[in-house]
Amino acid sequence: MRLLPRSMQGRLLVLVLGLVSSVWVAAAAMTWRDVRHELGELLDGHLAQAAALLVVQQARELGDDHDAADAPTLHRYGPKVAFQVFHEGRLALRSANAPDLPLAGPGKPFKAGFRTVETGGAAWRVFAAQGAERDVQVYVSERIDSRNSILWAVLRGTLWPMLVALPLLALASWWAVSSGVAPLRKLGRTIAARQPQALQPVVLQDAPSEMAPMLDALNGLFERIARMMDLERRFTADAAHELRTPIAAIRAQAQVALAEADGARRRHALEATLQGCDRAARLVDQLLTLSRLEAGATTVKAPLDLAELVRQVVSQAAQQAIDKEQTLEVDALGACQVQGDATLLAVLVRNLVDNAIRYSPPHASVRVSVAAAPGRVLLKVEDSGAGMKGEDARRLGERFFRVLGSDQGGSGLGWSIVRRVAAVHQAPVHVGRSDSLGGLAVEIGFAAFP
Amino acid sequence: MRILLAEDDPLLGDGLRAGLRQLGFQVDWVRDGRAAERELLAEPYAAAVLDLGLPLKDGVQVLPAIRRAGITTPVLVLTARDAVPDRIRGLDLGADDYVVKPVDLNELAARLRALVRRAHGQPQERLASQDVVLDPAARSVLRAGVPVALPAREFDLLHALMLNAGRVLSREQLEQHLYSWGREVESNAVEVHIHHLRRKLGNAVIQTVRGVGYMVAREGP
Repeated sequence: MRLLPRSMQGRLLVLVLGLVSSVWVAAAAMTWRDVRHELGELLDGHLAQAAALLVVQQARELGDDHDAADAPTLHRYGPKVAFQVFHEGRLALRSANAPDLPLAGPGKPFKAGFRTVETGGAAWRVFAAQGAERDVQVYVSERIDSRNSILWAVLRGTLWPMLVALPLLALASWWAVSSGVAPLRKLGRTIAARQPQALQPVVLQDAPSEMAPMLDALNGLFERIARMMDLERRFTADAAHELRTPIAAIRAQAQVALAEADGARRRHALEATLQGCDRAARLVDQLLTLSRLEAGATTVKAPLDLAELVRQVVSQAAQQAIDKEQTLEVDALGACQVQGDATLLAVLVRNLVDNAIRYSPPHASVRVSVAAAPGRVLLKVEDSGAGMKGEDARRLGERFFRVLGSDQGGSGLGWSIVRRVAAVHQAPVHVGRSDSLGGLAVEIGFAAFP
Repeated sequence: MRILLAEDDPLLGDGLRAGLRQLGFQVDWVRDGRAAERELLAEPYAAAVLDLGLPLKDGVQVLPAIRRAGITTPVLVLTARDAVPDRIRGLDLGADDYVVKPVDLNELAARLRALVRRAHGQPQERLASQDVVLDPAARSVLRAGVPVALPAREFDLLHALMLNAGRVLSREQLEQHLYSWGREVESNAVEVHIHHLRRKLGNAVIQTVRGVGYMVAREGP
């Protein structure tokens, strides 16, 4: 259950009006209490004084034999005030609205002072007094509800303005809160009116300073999304362009094969067509791997033996090396535990080994080694190929960067993948020259586990 | 017709070379920008197919370089980039045509023929001189409306002469038109081909300019 409305404006309004009303009601309650107290004292005082006057006056005037007389009603408030004068136990004088029996209640012993009694369906405040010398008893009383009506009149004076002012206050608050939250509404409208591609920062004229953190956060988010979308767009465009070349090759070779009468040339073109298909498929695989990596796909890290993983991957690549009559050796004897994602690490090792075989000439040597160093596990892939210039080595891993002059139809994506996977494992990559084989040496340092 | 193909992708280069050869072109294939520039500066190619993303020297750099050197060889840019700004840039840099990969070999050939024809100021696809009509696309020759079967070399020779109608071409120039690299040219090959052509088409079409070379007379006004 919601105590407050969902709208900020409604919420502020409810709070403001609620608080103002409570304060007002509390003030009214205090006024009522004070007024009732003061009024009670005042009117009781009047009753007592009136009784005293009657006692003094009656003591002088009353004879021994007389009948009870009714005093005339002199004021329209008369009926709300009543008095009785008893002389020697008999009613000597009373107001028109006073009963014959004592106001304090029939049959009750006389008791001077104030009391409240119920007579004729109304509550009365009674003051009883006694003459000191003669047997005169005086009762003066006043209807309680007449007191209450004064009290209410005072209270009305306090409450009425409130009842009139509250709607006005509500209107004024509505307007004030409205103009207060106007920048928020404006921001909402601005963002709602945006095209999904529009990611430039939101600029609000005269936005209040309280909104600055929100605007900053929002604009920061926009900036990050824009950067990500830009990367994505560039990636898609690059990928599409990279795919065009193998497709163009496939198309050209297939067309040649179709038109070729000579058997050997036809066969060559058909084989080239197949190669082109393999290359396109590999490119697509790499693109998918990379896009998954860049999308931050969750990695499942678990302790694994990198040496064992390397042995497996290298055995799969053996045929490739044999085809080029290269020497492919693995130096990974002991167990080297690391914490990592087995699938991704296999992709990393495969790409490194594949590159080494691909970019090294026939009869070259490729060596893959895994060695434990203090706290670290070093993966090293070396070859006896041409190596790489420092500048090229630095640019490795830029998407689609290919070393110029290389004859292989690679996409340059393999290195992007290697770098990404290494980054996921917080493993630094070092590219240099192999001391033993003379070609390229790639070294990746993983943290040892445990 | 001898053209230069500058393409770094081994499979695509191989396919384009084979395809264009099937369609009657003599193709020289280079794999980087520096070689492309060197060849274009050195040899009188009828046209060039230039990939923009070339190693060593980008096609974008090769084009202005050869244009600055006064080489007017028509250049067809072959590229994976298809955005309009890319095309505009390519054409502004001195390309004569712009083709996005992948391309149909027949279309590529047709575009190359059109480039060559326009480069020689020939408005029509078919070339004519006297009663001989040569159709480069169909690789056919008619003499007085009757088809004449010509081997590839003889056709290419006649094509070169008719494209340059009204100009004398030396024996060396004709050899350059006829042979791509690695083909052994016999010393009297041009003379032999001319001899065969005259036998099939009559003596009047190809004239010998003594000490200079051969020419086909310009047609019409």
